[in-house]
Amino acid sequence: MDLNLTDAQLAFRDEVEAWLAEHVPREPLPPSYTEEGFAAHRAWEQQLYEAGYAAIHWPRAYGGRDAGLVDVATFQECYARAGAPDRINVLALALAGPTIMAYGTDEQKQRWLPRIASCEDIWCQGFSEPDAGSDLANVKTTAVREGDTYSVNGQKIWTTLGRFADWMFALVRTDRQAPKHKGLTFLMIDMDSEGVEVRPITQINEDPAFAEVFLTDVRVPVGNVVGAEHDGWRVAMTTLGFERGTGLGSHVRFSRNLQDLVALAKAVGAEHDPRVRDAIARCYVETEVYRHNMYRTLTRLAGGKQAGPEASLNKLFWSEMEARIFETGVQLMGPLAELTAKAEVIADRLGDQAELWGRWQKHYWYARASTIYAGTSEIQKNIIAERVLGLPKEPRG
Amino acid sequence: MNFDFTDEQYQLRDAARDFFAGECDAAHVRAMWAHETGRSPQLWRQLADLGFVGLTVPEQHGGLGLSEVDLVLILEEAGRAALPEPLLETTALGVPLLVEAGRPDQQAEWLPRIAAGDAIVTVQLADAPTAVDAHIADLLLLERDGELHAVPSDRFSATAQPSLDHARRVFTVEAETGPDTRMAGGGEAAARAWDRGAWGTAALLGGIGQRLLEMSAAYVREREQFGRPVGSFQAVKHKLAETLLVVESAKAATWYAAYALAHDLPDRSEAASVAKTYAADAEHKANYEALQCHGGIGFTWEHDLHLWLKRGTALGPAYGTADAHRSTLADRLFA
Repeated sequence: MDLNLTDAQLAFRDEVEAWLAEHVPREPLPPSYTEEGFAAHRAWEQQLYEAGYAAIHWPRAYGGRDAGLVDVATFQECYARAGAPDRINVLALALAGPTIMAYGTDEQKQRWLPRIASCEDIWCQGFSEPDAGSDLANVKTTAVREGDTYSVNGQKIWTTLGRFADWMFALVRTDRQAPKHKGLTFLMIDMDSEGVEVRPITQINEDPAFAEVFLTDVRVPVGNVVGAEHDGWRVAMTTLGFERGTGLGSHVRFSRNLQDLVALAKAVGAEHDPRVRDAIARCYVETEVYRHNMYRTLTRLAGGKQAGPEASLNKLFWSEMEARIFETGVQLMGPLAELTAKAEVIADRLGDQAELWGRWQKHYWYARASTIYAGTSEIQKNIIAERVLGLPKEPRG
Repeated sequence: MNFDFTDEQYQLRDAARDFFAGECDAAHVRAMWAHETGRSPQLWRQLADLGFVGLTVPEQHGGLGLSEVDLVLILEEAGRAALPEPLLETTALGVPLLVEAGRPDQQAEWLPRIAAGDAIVTVQLADAPTAVDAHIADLLLLERDGELHAVPSDRFSATAQPSLDHARRVFTVEAETGPDTRMAGGGEAAARAWDRGAWGTAALLGGIGQRLLEMSAAYVREREQFGRPVGSFQAVKHKLAETLLVVESAKAATWYAAYALAHDLPDRSEAASVAKTYAADAEHKANYEALQCHGGIGFTWEHDLHLWLKRGTALGPAYGTADAHRSTLADRLFA
């Protein structure tokens, strides 16, 4: 057990910290779901790319720098600590890209990967459908082969950044006769194709950050299939397995949330309330324990082991913790909690921390989504119970 | 960057697990419930011969000279086995306290005997109402009025205070302290011992939580109602999945605390508090879900489950309750 970084890893950390200190925008960028904000985020991604930081864990051949997982974790920690902008192409970097590397042909790799690293192409995920949420294999969007192309019809939903994406990696049904899991194909869809219609969905917190995507007779070349036809379920499960690396370093983000929580308690004058102190200490303990869990995961992955069901444990832990942290902030505001940062009372009571409350309130709703997306808490618990504890599967329809 | 144990550390863990499986099974623990002293000198001798008792004793005093990181998995196994013997008090707490705060003559007198299995240590720090195993202890390390004393058994008397866990033997002590019993270190060393107590208890609680989870998972795989194993119902599955999450997380926190203590990191005390508060809550969760999942059979004296339910209940508040540690952490957060 040794938590020290090597000299080379320390040098990398220093380099990253120095670069971020010089380049991270002083003012937060406008939200990425606006035209202006999206352009600003894309420009930032390109700046990262030119500095060699866009996809450090990728092979050099595709625009990365072959960084080890410890460096990836270090980069993500530094990035979060510097308060740098949210990454807009996470789905491509963490999911689509690695899937293409694992299953794609050489031609597909050359065609898609360098443009992901450079952020010339933004990708969205086309898995969820109105009737395929937790039961993902229930995908109904069909792709019917007609010569060298498929004709794709159906609807995808909860598509983050759907309005701005250039490409979608999608699960589509190519064999309607086969059992649910056997008739799916992993297909890359050009979002500029005729028949693709994107309608923004306004979220509970008023942000239009995701969308529904309607696909009507969309022509997709057969060459856009990744992996074998009808083998999409296996490819998709591999894809979701790639989410493993994305959480590394994320403990820094939660530690920052915790600092904000302490600041909020002080701003509203609740710091001497023993119940508030206990609730915040509870959150602090969780952020620390999450950090220890991350060390454990990083060590496993860096040692070449698979994350396996550990990914479900991590997802369950951080999403429930995040919800609790933001809930605690809302609770300590008492009757002020219903007021937005625009309310005069908030400005009077919180002074220069009113802006913090504005961010907190928005993030509160995002935190409540965390236990739903990327596998609900209930699905994660089923996975843990069945795959780790060996409990019998529940009969499923 | 490596948050894992060495092959040697895992071998030591496996040796402890195998030894406890053979020599400290549920029948042994149950036998100790009814036994006069509740302790087995033979078992202690074997623990010493295997090197576990003297694990933290410096090599020049006949021990292995190892650290908290080497000890933590063995403590987990001791919790998993509900070991009645005072391994926590002697090896995790007593020895480091003698090393840090003992006078050279006290160290020379006691450390070799401890490593050889010839002397058992118990510890009573300021806030603790009782001392464990004072009836068999050869040496009591006592904090009184900010002073630390090393009191041999002929200078203290012990009065039994029955515990709900009959394998635990706890006592109030009356000690005759004086300049000759006084140790070199004082309050600072006692505070460090308290941190070690919190961490070591967290490790035991992690092992108890693990055992409760194992027993519950095994039971719900077998027990059938409505024509299928009750473990196939999500209401049951989710309880045990949540328990696994907190028990595994408690272990990670306890390992980190072991590392922080072994390397004397600036956050050693905080890490011990985090581990203790989290492990106590995790064991509490395991404790409740285990009985719930066992149903009526778990409520019987005859079933072994309560051996662990009671050990967990007894140890949960030891070396600072979960609330008290959170209060300490809150003081630092708002400082």
